[in-house]
This record gives sequence, structure tokens and C-alpha cells, in this order.
Amino acid sequence: MIGRNRYKNRIELLQGTLDMLILQTLQWGPHHGYGIVQALRGNSGDVLQIETGSLYPALHRLERQSWVRSEWKQTESNQRAKYYRITAAGKKQLASDLSRWQQMVDIIGAVMHRTPEGEEA
Amino acid sequence: MSFFARSFSRRKADLDEEIQAHLQMDIQERQDRGQSAKQARAAAMREFGNVPLIEDVTRGTWGSLWLERIGHDLRYVFRQLTRSPIFAITVTATLALGLGATAAMFTVVDRVLLRPLPYRDAHQLVEIKESGKRGTVSFGTPFLDLQQWRQRSHSLKEIAFYSWNKHVSFLDGKTGSTQVNAPQVSANLFALLGVHPAMGRNFESQSDGSALSGEAHTLILSDPVWRTIYGADPNVLNKAVKLNGESYIVIGVMPRGFAFPLNGAAPLVWLPTIIGDNDTVRTRNITPNYQVIARLNPNVTLRTAESELRAIQPDVAKEYADPYDRDLVTSIQLQRYEDSLVETDLRKALLALFGASAVLWLIACVNSTSLMLARATAKQREIAVRGALGASRWRIVQQFAAEGLLVSAIASALGLGLATLMIKFFEHGLTSQFHIHEKLTANTSVIGMLVALTVVSALLCSIWPAIVAAKAPIESGLRQGGPQSSSGAAQYRTRASLVVIQIAMSLVLLVGCGLLLRTIYALRHVTLGFRTDHIIIANMTIPAYKFAGQNMTTELYQPLVDRVNHMPGVQAAVLMNAVPLENTFKLQFTFGVAGTSAADVRRRDLVAQFRAVGPEMQRVFAFRMLKGRFFNEGDTASTQAVAVVNRAFVKAYFDGDEPPEKILGENLFSFSNDKRAVVIGVLDDERQVSIAKQSQPEIEVAIPQITPGTGFYKGAEGMAMDLAVRTDRSPSSIVPEMREMLRHASPELSDSTFTTMDQVVEDSYGSQQLAARLLIVFGGSALLVCITGIYGLLAYLVAHRTKELGLRIALGARRGDVMWLVLRQAGWMLLSGSTLGLVLAYVTSLLLRTFLYNITAHDPWTMAAVTLLLVGGGLAVSCVPARRAATVDPMEALRTE
Repeated sequence: MIGRNRYKNRIELLQGTLDMLILQTLQWGPHHGYGIVQALRGNSGDVLQIETGSLYPALHRLERQSWVRSEWKQTESNQRAKYYRITAAGKKQLASDLSRWQQMVDIIGAVMHRTPEGEEA
Repeated sequence: MSFFARSFSRRKADLDEEIQAHLQMDIQERQDRGQSAKQARAAAMREFGNVPLIEDVTRGTWGSLWLERIGHDLRYVFRQLTRSPIFAITVTATLALGLGATAAMFTVVDRVLLRPLPYRDAHQLVEIKESGKRGTVSFGTPFLDLQQWRQRSHSLKEIAFYSWNKHVSFLDGKTGSTQVNAPQVSANLFALLGVHPAMGRNFESQSDGSALSGEAHTLILSDPVWRTIYGADPNVLNKAVKLNGESYIVIGVMPRGFAFPLNGAAPLVWLPTIIGDNDTVRTRNITPNYQVIARLNPNVTLRTAESELRAIQPDVAKEYADPYDRDLVTSIQLQRYEDSLVETDLRKALLALFGASAVLWLIACVNSTSLMLARATAKQREIAVRGALGASRWRIVQQFAAEGLLVSAIASALGLGLATLMIKFFEHGLTSQFHIHEKLTANTSVIGMLVALTVVSALLCSIWPAIVAAKAPIESGLRQGGPQSSSGAAQYRTRASLVVIQIAMSLVLLVGCGLLLRTIYALRHVTLGFRTDHIIIANMTIPAYKFAGQNMTTELYQPLVDRVNHMPGVQAAVLMNAVPLENTFKLQFTFGVAGTSAADVRRRDLVAQFRAVGPEMQRVFAFRMLKGRFFNEGDTASTQAVAVVNRAFVKAYFDGDEPPEKILGENLFSFSNDKRAVVIGVLDDERQVSIAKQSQPEIEVAIPQITPGTGFYKGAEGMAMDLAVRTDRSPSSIVPEMREMLRHASPELSDSTFTTMDQVVEDSYGSQQLAARLLIVFGGSALLVCITGIYGLLAYLVAHRTKELGLRIALGARRGDVMWLVLRQAGWMLLSGSTLGLVLAYVTSLLLRTFLYNITAHDPWTMAAVTLLLVGGGLAVSCVPARRAATVDPMEALRTE
């Protein structure tokens, strides 16, 4: 019970951003789960470590919502793996996620960088 | 289920492979970076985390996890049930009884009360009847009256009318003539019902709804007639067919499933109503009367339309010249057509019986709840363990629900079988009492109701035990070896109150059963006033058209009855319109004299049964003459016209206890203009209408005296006639001979139906008989279930307290005291259950009032006897666990644990 709740909380916390990050990664081409983890780690300069415990539920949820589609393919090293591809609906979702994210960053940024009143012209 | 399971396990394997691929790639990369295979594997696994848990969470996003869980639960529950077969069998059997009885009764309710009518917007269709001083006029309305409604009413969209064709018609087909029902309908009727012929055309309508006079010899076929008589011939249109010997042109065929009126049995054809000269006056016995059906305008309620017509009606009544007739039609009764199809009494009776079956179902549910509760306690330890291992309470509740669902699903499958058996067993009673003409089978709506009931039973009997089980604290459940004594006591109390409820409800059913058995007993011992044994009856429909222009008395009836009288083994044979107690055919007599004196008005109110009978009647039925003589061979067409009345008639005629002989010699009516009938005898009272009804006024005339010139010739001889034969021979030996004799008289008569007078008597209290038998089944099952419930609980009590009982005996308690301890529990439950039950029965037995005869709904003797039966039965079964308690071996009992 307890273990499961821990994961659930993580997903909850990251959900919006994780979905966005996955969709963004798939923009550059179809990927399997391991590839997504690697790509995100690489793109973030080894800072972002995605929990597999959140990744797979997220992928399956995105598939259920038809934002990604999956198919089995061979990797270059001849390993059978499940590849995820972003759909048109997924791209739309990504755009809206991105603009919301941008808005949020702007608002939070504005709040955080605000100088005391009256001092700025 | 298997499809889901398969697709589910495929997806599961898929996910597993996906994750394994992830791990493989990770391991591969780590090895490429120089780690050993073992190190790489360990690192990859560590980084990935708990594989089964991640799989589980991922599967949770699929949204079909619950399905998998239910599958698991069902399989688990099934295993558990097979491990305690007695519990499983008791619960399923109990529920199957309740569900089966309810499903069977619902099949009838669905057919009789919920049947959709084959018309467009049937709820807008209403039946209009005039009413007045003598209540609702059932024989119909003159054309002039309904024309006024048509012209002046704004709430009615359209009015149509029809007349029952009282006698059966004969339609000639390829294979001889067939009996059909040929009502005459107004030309706008089918349009009003919103149904058009499937083939051909409708009758041409005039603006007043009647048919053009050119349509007089046309007819429309119903689908069954078209199929059975004309072999679904597509060229049947414009063909000439013979109906009652007359030629008609077929102009249309109605669609399949269409019927009108709905409460007739015979196959239908329709003739047009042509308005004639007699329709331009309002003269009793001359003006034709029509049944009226109308469609309300949209958004007009029944009440609005009724009050509008009631406002119009005084003007209509004013048009009646005869003040007596005027008083009969002063108001209007409006009823939905669908409601008019089932009489109120019948509806109430059916609902009462359906209610009884529902009570049985409730008893079954309560009993199952009690058993499930006991099981939940027995499984307390197991549940505690599962809770400790992390099962949520919701999950435990789910499992109980699965158990309830499985048990009641099996029960409902069995119940459906039981329902089919019950319907088969009661088919004759159900179909004849509730006027069902089709075969009774469970249809989709019955199945739907059964499924709904199954789910409700599952919830009722599993949710409460589930909540009790889920709420029980885990720690104590684990610590104790078995069920705790305190929770055990609480549970015992709960189950005891459930048993009390069962006793109360069973008593309700048993009281109903007792009242009906008393009724049947009373009906069987009614003095009928005539003999019913050794009489065989042929019910004939008369092909009167074949004897047009002849005298049926001399051409058909006299020769027939003479021949039958000479059959070997026949003591006497007689012809009469309808034998006593048989209500298939009825002729009514009312006085036509105009007069204003009190006696004249009272005599016009007098409605008497009118019967044409043969002089041999007394030899067949052996009734008693009070005064004067019965008809004899001397009464013929050429002698003085005579009539016989009964005592009830004399009483109504003179309004008081005048001596019966006073009516002898009176002239009541005439056979024809120059032939007045003289009363020559008075019959003693007899139950001729119904066993439950006192004798009704009656007038009888002798068939040999009736000639085609007689005013009532057509009614008395041309429609229905029964041949009653007194014989010592068995029906099976004499019926074929009688049928042959009838065929000889006229081929159509070989279709006559045969019965015995004893059967007619039996059928006349068919509704009580049916109700009694159904209630015996329901009440008996309830008694059984409830006694099992008492036994089960006391057995549980004794088993639960073995140790304590052993201790008591060891300390010197006498065996009798221990027995008394258990019996006291039973007594307490039976007493409070019976008290509650009697209070309930006091209210519910009123619902049975329409069935009861010669007994009040609150008959104290019945109530007492039934209570005694239940209490006695309950105490008898309690003796078994009580004796077991008394024979507990103290050494043995104390050694356990």
C-alpha cells in the first residue's frame, strides 16, 4: 500500500511537466522508453533523471489519450522494443502545454524578480 | 469474460516485454561502458526500481484493472463456495425460490398490465361511455350522441366507433369455414389508431367517420387470417370471399401484430359501419349502439376532456324523448383505452399476487443476508490477515459483493427454470383468469427484470455483511483464535432480528394462504340449488346464417336433442343458451313499458337474466320448483306461450316478500304481437351467475315455443347454445359420439368445446383457486425458508456456546434447563415475529379482499390457526439444536481448545 502511494504521489507531482517533456522528446522522432530516459538525461546535461516508475504509467496514459501511438520495432542493436510516436493530437496538446508552461514561468518569474514598489521608474 | 481475459493477458505480456527491453538496453549500454555483466544487471535493476509494482501502476492506467480484479474475485469466491457446499446450496436455493416466484409473476404482470398496445401514441386513446342513474352504460352509445361530441368537443382530435359482433362469424376459405370475430368498425378507426393496412386500402370514410354506403360489402383481413386461411396469398385483394354466406370483397390486409379490439380471442376480420335510418333516432332496442374510442388532442389531459364532455352531455341527454332513458345518460365516463382492457378488480388481484411473490423474494434475501453474516464472522480471521497484508477495506467489500453476485447469478439462472416450471404448472389458471390468449413465456423484459433483481439481491445480501466484516478491527481479529464473544453476541442479535423479520413476512403470506383456503372451502360448500355431477356440456356456436329462412327450432334443435336423448347411456339431454355459472353468453331482459308510477320505474330498473331452455332441463339439473310447474312436452309453438321466473325475480318485481304464487298468471312480455307469455312457475333460488353471488332475477322460456316470428328469436336461438347431457358414461367415451352427432346436425358444430358441469363449477371460482394455489406455493416456501432460518441460527448458537453449555452442565445444570435455554431463544423470536407479522397481515390481507368469500379479511380464526402453525413448526425444528445442547458432553466441550 505504502510503496504504491509513493509512486502515485510522484506522478501526481510531475504529471503535467512529465507529459510535456515526453511529448517534446518525441517531437524529434519516435523513441522507446529507454531512449526517452536517455534523451532527457542528455538534453538536460545529466541533470534530469526520469523515474521509470513514472515514465511507463505516463506513456500508457498518453497512449490511452491518443497523444502517442506505439509499435514494436527492432533497434540498431537488434533488440525488439516498443517505439512511441507522437500523434497530431499529441502535437496540439504539446503546444497548449508549452504555452501554459510559458505563462506559468512568466508569472512565477514576474513574482520572483519583482523589485520593491516605487523604486523602479 | 474469456475474450477480456485473453486480451488482458496479452497486454500484460506486452508490458512485461517492454520493460525487459528497457532493462536489456540499459544493461547492454553499461556493459559497453566496461561494467561486468553481473554489475551491469544489478545497476540497471536498481535504477529501474520495483518491476512488478511499476507494472501494476502502469496497468492501473489501462482502466480495465477492475475487470481483472472481478475475474480474480469470482474465481476465488467460486473456490471458496465449493469448499462449503451446504452454505452455497442453502443460499442459492433460497434465492432461486424468491427470484423464480417473482419472475413467474412478473411474466404475467408484464403481459397483462405492461403490454404495449400496437397503436401509435396509445396513451392518447380514450374510451368514452355514457353514465347515469344506473351507472356506466356498457352496451354503447347511439350514433347521434357521438356526433354531438364530435361537433362540439375541442379536446378530442377524432372520434371513432365500432360494435362488437356478438355472434361468431364463419369465414369460408379453401378448407371449409373458420370461426372468426368480425367487428364492424367506423371507417376512420384505423386512421385514428395510427395504423394503416399493410396491403390494399382502408375503408372510404365520410366526414362523420362512417363508411360510404358503397363500402357495405367490403372487408379487411387481419394478418393471421390472411396467413392461415388464405395462405398469405398476395393476390387476395379484390377477391370475393364468403362471410356467413354473404359475399364480401377483400380491400385490405392489416399489418402483423395489429389487433382491435384487443380483448377478443378469435381471429379478426373487420367490416365497415354503414350509418342507416335507425341511426337517426334514439329509440331503445332499435337504434344501434356503438363503443366509442377517441384520440385526445396533444397536451389535453384525460380530466380536461372528461369535464368538457360532461359539460356537453346535458344537451345530448335532453334529446332523449323518454325521461327514463334520459336519466341513464346524464354524464360521461372517460377512461384510457389501455386501462379499459383490464378490469380494476383483476388488476388489484394480479398486483396482490405479484406482491406476495415479492415478499417471498424479500424473505429469501433476508435469509441469505443472515447466512452471509454468519459466514463473514467465520471468515473474520482470514479477513484480518488480508487486511494486515494490505488489502484495503474497499477491496474486502468488493470481494463480498462478488460473492453475493455469483451466488445470486446462479440462483437467478435456477430461478428462471423454476419460473418456467411454475408458469407451466399454473398455465391454465393464469391464462384463463387473466384473459391471456398467447403463450406465456419469459420475454426480454422479464429477463431484464430478473437481471435487475439479481443485482439487487446480491447487494442486499452481501453489502451489509461486507461492511460489518470490513469495519472489524484487524488487531483483535488476528489476536483471537476464533470469533470474539462480544462481536459474536452482537452478530447473534442482528441475525435474530433478521429471523424475526422473516417470521413476520412469512406469516403475512401464510395468513393470505389461510384466508383463501377458507374461501375455497366456503365456496365448495355453497348450496348451488342444482346438481352438477355426471353432466357433460357441449358449448356450441351456431352458424345461424345457414338456417336463414328456416325455423331453427324444428330444423336444428329439436332433431338434435331427440337424437342425443336416444343415445345409449344418456338419461336426459337439454339445450339451453348457457348452462348455469357459465358466463360466455348472456341475454338480458329489461321491461320496455313506459310509466311513471313508482312500481313502473322500479320494474324498468329490473335487469333479469333471460334464458331459452328445453323442457328436459329439470331432469338434467334437478333443481327445485317453488311454485307452479316447469315446462313440459305439452308446451309447443301452437299452445299458450309460457314463462318461468325465479324467486329473486319475484322479489324484485313486487319489491318485497310477496308470496311467490302471486306472480303466476302474470303477463310479463310477449313472444310476438298476438302472443303474450304467461308465468306458469317459480324456480327456487339457485346460484346461476356465480357461486359467490346470490341468485339473480331470471326469466326462462321454452325453446319449442320459439319460432322465427318470435321477437327474441335471433338472440335466443341464433348465437350460442349449450347442450347439457346427464349420463353415467365417462366423458372420454361419450364425447366422440356427441361430436359426431353435432357434425351430423351441422358440420360447423363439430368445433364445439366440451366440458363437464363439475369443471364449470370449478372454473367459476378459478380466480380464488389460482390465488389459493399460488399462495400455498409462496407461503409454503416462505415457511420452509423461515424455519430453516430459525434452525440455522439456533444451531449456530449452540455450536458457538458449546463450551459455556458444557460448563453449565459440569456445574450441575440439568439437561432440561439447557434445553429450555435454547427453546427460550426460539420462543422469543417466534413470539415477536408473529406479533409483527399479525400487525402486517392486518393491513396486507385487505389487498386480498376481492378474492374472499364468506370470510372477512381479518378473520381471527384463520389468523390464530396460521400463527399456531408457524409457531409450532418453529418450535419443532428448534428441538433439534435444543436436544443437541442438552446432550453436550461436558468433558468433550471443555477439552476443545
